[in-house]
Amino acid sequence: MSIRLDQLAKSFDSLRVVKTTSLEVEDSELFVLLGASGSGKSTILRLIAGLSAPDSGRIWLHGRDVTDLQPQERGIGFVFQNYSIFRHMSVAENIEFPLKIRKVSRSKREERREQLLDLVGLGGLGNRYAHQLSGGQQQRVALARALVHEPSVLLLDEPFGALDVKIRGQLRRNLKEIQRQLRVTAILVTHDQEEAFELADRVGLMERGELLEVGEPEALYAHPRTLFGATFLGAGTVLVGRAKNGAAKLGSLSLPIPPEVEHEEDARVRVLVRPEQVALSAGAAGAAGDEPPEGNLLGHGTIVEQSFLGALRRVRVRLPAIPGTRQASPAVYGEESLLMDAVIPAGEDPGGFEVWVSLKGWHILAPPRPRLLACDFPGEGSPAPFSLLRGFEGSLNARVSLLSVTDKVDRVAALRASQTERAASHGLPDAEPVVRKGDPVDEIAAEQVQSLYDFLVLSMPEKGQGEILPGVLSALSTPLLAVQGEPDSFSRILICTAVGEPGKADVRVGGWLARRLGAEVTLLHVLVDGGGPAPWVKAHLDAGLATLRGLEVTSRTVLRPARAAVQGILDEAKEGGHDLIVLGRHAASRSGGRVRRHDFSFEILAGSGKSVLIVPPGQ
Amino acid sequence: MIGRRHGAGLPVGMLVLVLLPLILMPIAAVFVFAFGGGPGEFLKALRTEDAQFALRFSLLIAFLTAAINAVLGTWAAYVLAKHRFRGERPLAIAINLPVAIPTVVVGTSLLLLWGPIGLFGKLLEPLGLQPMFTPAGVLLAHLFVTFPYMLGSVKPLLDELEVTYEEASYTLGAGRWQTFRYVILPALKGGLFSGTLLTFAHSLGEFGATVMVSGNLRLRTQTAPLYIFAQFEAGKVAQANAVAAVLAALSFVIFFFLLRYSGKERL
Repeated sequence: MSIRLDQLAKSFDSLRVVKTTSLEVEDSELFVLLGASGSGKSTILRLIAGLSAPDSGRIWLHGRDVTDLQPQERGIGFVFQNYSIFRHMSVAENIEFPLKIRKVSRSKREERREQLLDLVGLGGLGNRYAHQLSGGQQQRVALARALVHEPSVLLLDEPFGALDVKIRGQLRRNLKEIQRQLRVTAILVTHDQEEAFELADRVGLMERGELLEVGEPEALYAHPRTLFGATFLGAGTVLVGRAKNGAAKLGSLSLPIPPEVEHEEDARVRVLVRPEQVALSAGAAGAAGDEPPEGNLLGHGTIVEQSFLGALRRVRVRLPAIPGTRQASPAVYGEESLLMDAVIPAGEDPGGFEVWVSLKGWHILAPPRPRLLACDFPGEGSPAPFSLLRGFEGSLNARVSLLSVTDKVDRVAALRASQTERAASHGLPDAEPVVRKGDPVDEIAAEQVQSLYDFLVLSMPEKGQGEILPGVLSALSTPLLAVQGEPDSFSRILICTAVGEPGKADVRVGGWLARRLGAEVTLLHVLVDGGGPAPWVKAHLDAGLATLRGLEVTSRTVLRPARAAVQGILDEAKEGGHDLIVLGRHAASRSGGRVRRHDFSFEILAGSGKSVLIVPPGQ
Repeated sequence: MIGRRHGAGLPVGMLVLVLLPLILMPIAAVFVFAFGGGPGEFLKALRTEDAQFALRFSLLIAFLTAAINAVLGTWAAYVLAKHRFRGERPLAIAINLPVAIPTVVVGTSLLLLWGPIGLFGKLLEPLGLQPMFTPAGVLLAHLFVTFPYMLGSVKPLLDELEVTYEEASYTLGAGRWQTFRYVILPALKGGLFSGTLLTFAHSLGEFGATVMVSGNLRLRTQTAPLYIFAQFEAGKVAQANAVAAVLAALSFVIFFFLLRYSGKERL
């Protein structure tokens, strides 16, 4: 193992530039860190080089812990984007510099210098100075200088970024040859996907300080796990459908989900289709003699755009809305219709503007990491429930965002900084601070809408419900976890289908949580009228149980007679030792958009003293 | 259409006419008057003990000032260029202030600080140390007055130097000192050279601060400019002119070097 990064993390001021990252690079591997600017890829390189110190984590080079060593003690070679050739030294002196520092004899130095000059193809240019060389030549000098002392690891920071396309391609091939020849382990940082594919043995994809995916270029292209991976590497369309009986449903099309992709019945499934996997065949819908083609037909559409790419032609087709299907990428706003990109050989004619679109191949993405938005209002007696968030970060593999709200503009930066510190001190260093300006209730509502979260987490102040909860409930679009006490997980979950319309959403969200937390579920129906259960209740409970069993959650149903629904729920929660109560929330408990103080949810919260998960409809 | 060469004679002629009494003639006058009595008189005037001392003392002080401020100024420039800190701008302005303050004022404040009744002076007095009215006092004044020249020559070069220059050196195996010695310092060569010459030249001609702190003691603290002034006051114009001519000649030499060097840099 040449390079091992163990739980490395780095912040600048309050900005988390590198989130807890671990990585291993094999001997003589050429590893490419790929990401947009500001994704933290260069910072990782600088941490390895020792030009910047990590906040936490260790760095190992060839089995040696170098975390606390100075850059000059690490035995690395580093190539900068701006070359950084020493201007007052000739090319020869530049290349000999590392050897001179190491007190290598003059004859050895000269011999080695000539070797390196030949290696990078600059033989005979030793007497030149930087200003007499082209950019490409300067970068070759930088490479020779970084390699002359036989470093154990070569680090390259966007080495071709400042060069024009033609020279870039040539240098790339040279670099790969040289790296192969010397068998030196190398990490190269770039934002250029083509460069990554061409050079890399393996690619690490970075986004916002996080190493999202690591893999060989072909594997990453064909089987990305994340939406970012799917869209950043290469073109394609990502469609979102639902899982039904082990297949992703896109309208009438069923694409089997391979067993290795984790999925849940009825959950959203994202399907990536690369342009080369889209087949087009001419034909007007409904016209006589124009039969739709066989196999994996997605639909019928019209060509809206064509561009000639040399050997290939890119064709963009618009398809009318397909029920239960939407498009996640490329983003289409305010439209129900889908846009599919296809590539066909440039010589081929799609044959008219109306085409049948079918899929020759596809890839099903892994479900995204759940995202939690936790409100952190220590001033209002409602700090974020850190112990639970830590538990969720582990068991749910969740991303946590911490929301704070201020009414003063000039406090935003300071608040963000203190938020980051606060999160780190509570064991959540990778939590994302979200600071909004305005009224807490409005901002919680706005943040839910602007970013997609799976749960909203709010601790209940010890004295009373606080001022926030009623407002939050009236504009709830995300399941709200109202936390009481200091739980770190939940093991017994009570899902109540007691009043109003029975909701599928509460069972699904509660079951989803139970599955990941390894919790048991009790499905409760309270019989208020004293008689037996109505037939629809029975049917509903059976359906709920079936859903939970499908999720492999240990579950049972309870029918409990009580004088009032609230009383029944509170009694069951107490007797059953439940630590989380799940309530469906529906139109009936709202009145004119405002939530009344004696709302059902408040009674349960106040009466039970336990955490409550409130699921709005349409989840 | 404005021709560049066409009709240049008139404006150039007028410029020369205006500059003649202002700049060109005074320069020539120094030498004309110095050699007015012939080379014999000139040499005789230079050979007096007082003149000899004043010239040597001035050269020595200029030399020391240039040497000390070369180190001090480079160090200050390096620290200022490399580190970002609170109060960086006010400090940079304060350091550059000596060019703007009238030198006589500098002399007064030095006296107030280091003089027998000054803040430091009072503490040093019992130890038998008394920098004012001694060569040390003169040096102190010159260091103060010429400090910004070194900084001004070196700092822009340091600011221009890419951060990665230093980092590249570290990654190639050089330590802090080696990086400074082999990578940074050579890159500053031009600034160091011109800064040192500027400091030297200004020290050589310094008058205002020197006259205050030196006490103008002949054969002890009298620099060449002070000598010239003293001789003039005493009506010995020939003595004054001889030393003045030497000072002027020295300045020309320094100026010539500066010109040549900056010319080369521009290539």
